[in-house]
Amino acid sequence: MLEYAWLILALPLISFVVTGVLGRYAGKHVGWITVGSIAGSFVIALVVLLQVLSAGAVGGEYRQVVPGITWLERPGERDFEFNLLIDNLSAWMLVLVSLLSTLIALYSIGYMRDEEGKPRYFAEISLFVAGMLGTVSADNFLQLLIFWEIMGLCSYLLIGFWYHKPEAASAAKKAFLVTRIGDVLFLIGVVAIFVVFGTVEFEGIREGIAAKFGTSLDLRTMTIIPLLLFGGAIGKSAQFPLHVWLPDAMEGPTPVSALIHAATMVKAGVYLVARSFIFLVPVDPGTGSVIDAAVPWNAILFIAIIGGFTAFFAATMALASYDIKRVLAFSTISQLAYMFLGLGAGAWLLAENGGTGGFSAAMFHLTNHAFFKALLFLAAGSVIHAVHTNDMRGMGGLRKRMPVTAWTMLFGCLALAGIPPLSGFWSKDEILAVTFGVGEGNSIFYLLYVLGILTAFMTAFYAFRLWFMTFAGKFRGHQKGHVHESPRVMTVPLMILAGFAISSGLLLLLGVDGTWSNFVFYGEPHRANPFAAISLTVEVGLLALSIAVAFGGLLLAYAVYYRQTIPAERFTRSPIGARLHRLLLNRYYMDRAYDNLAAYGVSGVSRALDWFDRKVIDGIVNRTARGTVRLAAASDWFDRKAIDGAVNALSLSTIRSSFALRKRSTGRVQNYAAVVVLGLTAIILTVLVVRILFR
Amino acid sequence: MIPLEYEIILSAALFVIGLYGVLTRRNGVVVLMSIEILFNAPILNLVAFSAYTNNAAGQMFAFVAIALAAGEAAVGLALFLVLYQAHGTVDVSRLRLLRW
Repeated sequence: MLEYAWLILALPLISFVVTGVLGRYAGKHVGWITVGSIAGSFVIALVVLLQVLSAGAVGGEYRQVVPGITWLERPGERDFEFNLLIDNLSAWMLVLVSLLSTLIALYSIGYMRDEEGKPRYFAEISLFVAGMLGTVSADNFLQLLIFWEIMGLCSYLLIGFWYHKPEAASAAKKAFLVTRIGDVLFLIGVVAIFVVFGTVEFEGIREGIAAKFGTSLDLRTMTIIPLLLFGGAIGKSAQFPLHVWLPDAMEGPTPVSALIHAATMVKAGVYLVARSFIFLVPVDPGTGSVIDAAVPWNAILFIAIIGGFTAFFAATMALASYDIKRVLAFSTISQLAYMFLGLGAGAWLLAENGGTGGFSAAMFHLTNHAFFKALLFLAAGSVIHAVHTNDMRGMGGLRKRMPVTAWTMLFGCLALAGIPPLSGFWSKDEILAVTFGVGEGNSIFYLLYVLGILTAFMTAFYAFRLWFMTFAGKFRGHQKGHVHESPRVMTVPLMILAGFAISSGLLLLLGVDGTWSNFVFYGEPHRANPFAAISLTVEVGLLALSIAVAFGGLLLAYAVYYRQTIPAERFTRSPIGARLHRLLLNRYYMDRAYDNLAAYGVSGVSRALDWFDRKVIDGIVNRTARGTVRLAAASDWFDRKAIDGAVNALSLSTIRSSFALRKRSTGRVQNYAAVVVLGLTAIILTVLVVRILFR
Repeated sequence: MIPLEYEIILSAALFVIGLYGVLTRRNGVVVLMSIEILFNAPILNLVAFSAYTNNAAGQMFAFVAIALAAGEAAVGLALFLVLYQAHGTVDVSRLRLLRW
């Protein structure tokens, strides 16, 4: 009944083929093919979502596997199938991804208007969208991995879109190689799942855990598998320590940064961890209760700690960056880390008392962040389009010349900073509240909460540092006359996204009775209050604290970068401040450390391999060659001496004997006569002897 | 009556003398003459055994053989004559055309 959902994937794929193969004949209108097909996907996804909603997804679980093709038949076991999974989570993700992709593709038409290679760009965007839609609708881990890798490929291709720029080419390579580390872990995880459970389907695994735990499955395996999957998420979502590729990925075109490196692909890691809740909070499908002994508490804690730490760590680097897109990139890392923190705390909460607040808060933040971060990137792209630089020191005072961009970006910054009532506030506060609430179970979460609050403060600060440096004050660059507002095809998506950034937080209102929580949480239906774990006074206190730090950051940025009552130089001139500033500008020297590690490590390994090659492999080859030569020499010798020798000897002896024999034919009649006589005599004698002997 | 043994011994002596002449003489005509001597040995045998067995057929054969020997001598002499005309010699050791 949901077979038409396949069209959601098929339309971008068709667009990929059409724009890729025939795009050059479409001229400058090639982008509309892509926009049209992705918009078609969005409409279908919306229909699917409505159907899912009307089929009882609100306040309950909806789950439908849309049959596709059987990939590999395995008699007696579950076949490898290629199916779509439509449940609450994936239906929502499909709508979110296709909506954002449509808007960003539309924006690309304006942004890429004067670029060469538009068919290539739009073909790759189409393939990427197909990959992302496939990732969020896969019904097994293998299918998910395949689409995941398609996304990785498109990310590589699009970061390196301006491949003639060496920075872009090396950034693309870096992104591909760094995420590869995570992807390999993910692949190992999928193989491990297959080995342990004999299937890679989500449903089969859920049943498998309940059936096998305690016998062929122990807690250690239950801990390792989600951690391997999380390894993939760390790579794709640029979490510490694999975060280094995302800031460099900003070398790609800005719509690519918005689509892939803010709104969708980096969210795939969060989605993957959300799907691996089947491991983190294993539920017995029969009774519907959590299997307490099988909960991998350490894995949950690890995910939460990585999230909390990365949130703080990336936010500090955003404080010092001057590149408008890199600030947003660090911010993306930090906000993604919030989601992982939310998922970690949420898994703990769910395993402890069945509350789904953390899970739904993370998914909620994913939604909100997708809107406001796409908005911020597109607005930044609009600015870059106008001033032709990424450096915020060359901007300033753009508010008057680019009013639409300035105002929409202001809403994006407000949402990012967590100022109520914009979207970012609700989800971020919910994540922090859940983290604080879980602190009762494990006090590490209190520490993570503190990191989260500090991050919230820094987020507000750098968001408004960015806005004030770009739009307020005086213009610090050159060519002021060229700066102008972007065309409508770019500002309309900005306005739409600004609308979402303002309003998507109101989705929470749907969740007063737990329906939102129910909606994004696949699995057992429940009606738990997200804040059940926390008392009302504490909740109000947390709320007040969140609002206070957000406004505090905003005001500090206002004081430093707008009124300049506290000039930034005072900080950077002090010796400790200068050192800290340098440390942050150099991104804690981690990129350099990785480069050196790669340089020395790889060159060491390659040198060893070279030695091995030259000494061992070449040695074997050379020795084999030498042996062959020797064998050939021996064979040659044998040929010449023995075979030729035998032949020659035969002929020679024939010649010699003939030489000897021809002496006998002297030509003298008497000799012949003598021979005749002798022969006759011999015959006679022989006959006589035979007669006598055999008488 | 002469005993048969004497005649056979004489015949053998004739044969050996003839053979010796054939194998050792260098003059082709002498060789031919030695062949004639050698020929007479079997003829004598024929006659001797004819007398010994009182069978006249042996003497008939002897006459036939003498006639044949005469023919053969004529042919041989003619050959040597031609050889002499061609090569200027009848020395059989120098006539080595049968060589390889």
